[in-house]
Order: sequence, then structure tokens, then C-alpha cells
Amino acid sequence: MKEEKWFKWLVLSTVMHILVIGAFGIPIKKSSKKLNILSSYSVNLVGDPGLGRSGAGHISEDIPGSARERTEKKISKPVPQKKPEPARVKPKLERKEKEPAISLSKKKVPVKQTPVKETASKEELSRLSERIKEIRKRTDYLDVSQAKSGTGSGTGRAGGQGFGLSGSSDGGSRPMDPVSQQYILGIWEKIKNSWGLPGMSSFKKDLETIVTIRIRRDGRITDINIEKRSGNRVYDESILRVLRSVEPLPPIPASLNMDTIEIGFRFLPGDLS
Amino acid sequence: MGISSINDYTGGVLSLLYSAGPVAKIVVFILFLFSIISWTIIFFKWKQCKKIEKEGEKFFNAAKNADSYKKLISTYRENPDNAFYRLMLASYKEITSIQKDNPGIRPDIVQHVENILKITLSEETERLERRLSFLATTANTAPFIGLFGTVWGIMDSFREIGLKGTTSLSVVAPGISEALIATAIGLATAIPAVLAYNYFVGRLKRINSRMENAVIYIINLLEK
Repeated sequence: MKEEKWFKWLVLSTVMHILVIGAFGIPIKKSSKKLNILSSYSVNLVGDPGLGRSGAGHISEDIPGSARERTEKKISKPVPQKKPEPARVKPKLERKEKEPAISLSKKKVPVKQTPVKETASKEELSRLSERIKEIRKRTDYLDVSQAKSGTGSGTGRAGGQGFGLSGSSDGGSRPMDPVSQQYILGIWEKIKNSWGLPGMSSFKKDLETIVTIRIRRDGRITDINIEKRSGNRVYDESILRVLRSVEPLPPIPASLNMDTIEIGFRFLPGDLS
Repeated sequence: MGISSINDYTGGVLSLLYSAGPVAKIVVFILFLFSIISWTIIFFKWKQCKKIEKEGEKFFNAAKNADSYKKLISTYRENPDNAFYRLMLASYKEITSIQKDNPGIRPDIVQHVENILKITLSEETERLERRLSFLATTANTAPFIGLFGTVWGIMDSFREIGLKGTTSLSVVAPGISEALIATAIGLATAIPAVLAYNYFVGRLKRINSRMENAVIYIINLLEK
């Protein structure tokens, strides 16, 4: 009889605990404003890996940016944009030496500073385009895909053309230096081939981790930066592990004439299938 | 989702636990068991104390109205699973066993009964205090167990920071957050245990003094 009594209270206690844990288990939106400081960092990404196969020498951006949750690389101040488009991807290779005044490297560019008044005069615009061309020559800038700019007005288009990029305002595909593209794809293939998790199917499909790596001329990774965590530690850990394991990567092609190259990768669980 | 929300992620405390390391999970599991058991004891003791206080009330009512031991025995009929009834029963058994040899209540019988009642009283006290020590153990050890989980988690996350080579807040904070949950659960386990232990110690003291009073009542009635 006594045992029965104990059992009754044990059940009550267990139920109480389950209820309390259930209450704590209700998902809460966690958002730290402090972390948003990272948002002003530039993120350099290559396009979706699947897209790379679609055409030799081309990485095209054929999915609307908003759907893919891309981060935006603020290239330079002169890009005239009424409103910064948050969802876009703009992978690039950069040269470390001879950094232009408006750096393409990881640089804090507050979003607020980027928009240029739509009413900018024509002289100003032409001056800006010239300047951009100049920068472009110096930096060997590789733009894989210029995201579309729905809000882009006439000035926006002018800014896009300043880079010598076609179809920038409608999200069309963009040519890229075949050598560097080939190189990036090679790296991605290498990473993908050594990336694998035992319980991969159990991971949610919406996990997304964005990592940027800096590669030295000899193929050594000098820097690994997590730009976005998926929230799942096991998943993130597996990515960091694979990035450490693939070292050394193929050296940077001599024709690119670069000391370091910074590449961003987006890891989605679907990439493994 | 734009850049501003790129570091947001959803999930409650459970998701923090899910992504915590194995040591933290084991620690949390142990604390969870401690918590369940200590709450079982809290509920059980609470019910036990309530019941015994009710029984004490009944006994004192009967004892005050009875003018002799025999009358108390005949009027006070209770459930055998009752501390005050067991006191009565022990005294009655002792008296009947002595009376078999020597009929009639003699003065020296009172001493015998008093001794028996003291033994029964200490047995009852021991019965009431049983398992209460687990609450004290939980109160003392749960914060330390939680702290162990936290220290381990922080060690782990520092190692991770070293491997990643970055000290950005987004890398450091989740590991620390996962580690601290162990201490939080340790405290959540220990605090009710401390409160309950102190409460029950005070309450059992009162019950004990009532039982001592009951022993005196019985002896007084015997001497009449």
C-alpha cells in the first residue's frame, strides 16, 4: 500500500516536470541586437552549388534573391540604390594587395551610408562610373551574380553598368572569369565530397550555414569565418570539421595573380544528397 | 530574412539542450532525476505531515475527554496506519502482557509503559524523517552538479573558439549559453529542495513535540 502511495506521487512529480519542460520548450524568437553588428560585414558567396553545373563558365542566379536569403555585399558607395536589397549574393575574388580606396575586402560598410540620392546629377554619375571602372580594372573583380534590384531606378541601372555588368537590374545571369569560376567550383566539389554526416537525413532541410574562407596562394586556408550559424551545433561542427580536413586546397591559379582569395559557401543539407 | 536577421534563430530552452554536448546532457539528465525524486518526496511528506497532524488533533480531543486510560482505549479507535494510534497500541500491548502475570495496574507498570512509549516515539520520528535526507542531499549537490556541467561546457566552447580561430560573439555566445543551462537547472532543482527541507524540518519538530505530549497524556491517564 505504501509503495502505491509513493508511485502516485512519483507520477504526479513526473507529470509536473514534463509540463514545466514543455512550457520551456515552446520556441521563442531569439534575437540579439548585438549580433546584428555582423550584418554590416560583407559576405562573399558563391552561387548555389547546383547552379554551377548548369553551364560551363557560368554561375547564374536564377532564383529570386529573397527566396534564397542571400547576404549582400556592399561593393562600393557609388552604387546608387534607393533601398539596399537584403537578399542577394555577390561572390567575388579579390586581390589583397593594391586595395582600392573603396575596399572590396571585408569592410564595415554601414548600410545606411550606401544609398545615393536618386537625384544625383549626370556628371556625378558619369564620374562615379569612371571611378568604378577604374576600380574594376585594378581589382580584377569577379562578380558571379549581380542580384536583381527591383527597386533599381534609372540611376540604379547606371550604377550597375558602371561595373560593366550586363543585366544587373533584372537578376539575369552573369559571366564570370572562367578560371576563377573553375577554381571555386573545384574547391566546392572537394569540400562537398568530404562532407558527410551519419544522420544527415534527420537534419531539417532549412538549416543553412554560411562560412567564408580565405585561401592563401599555396592553397592553405588562413581564415574560417562563420557568417551565419544554422543553430544546430552538430551541423555547424561538421562543416568546420570538413573545412579543416580539406586543407590544403588547390593553389590559386597563377593567371589570377592573387595572394589571397576569399570565398563564401552556403551549406544546405540538400547539398549532400 | 535580410541581413539584419541573419543571426536570429528560433528555439526554446530545449533546443539549447539539444545542441549541448554529451556531458551537459548527462548532467541535465541527472539533475532531472534528482528533481523528480525530490518533488516526489516533497509531495509525499507534505501529505504525510498533513495526515499526522489531523490524527494528532483527533487523539488530543479523545484524550481530553477521557478521564481514564480504559475509557481512552475504548473510545479512541483509529486506522492502524496512524502514529498516535500506534503509540496507544504499544502502551496497551505492554500493559496486557504485564497484566497476564500480575492482574491489576501496579505503580511500577507505568515505568515499563513509559519506556515502551519512548521507543515507539523514536521509531515514529525516524519514520517521519525517513527520506528527508534526500532533500538535503539534493539541495547541497544539485548546484555543484550543474556547475560541473557548466564548467565542462565552457571548457568545450573555449576549445571550439580556439579551433575556429575567431572570437566573434556569434561563435562564443552559443557555447556559453549552452553551458550555463546546466547551472540554471541545478539551481532550479536545489532551490525547492532547500525550501522544502527547511519547511519539513520545522514541521516535523512540531509533530514530534505533539507526539511527546501524547506520551505524557497516556502516562498521566495510566497513573490516574
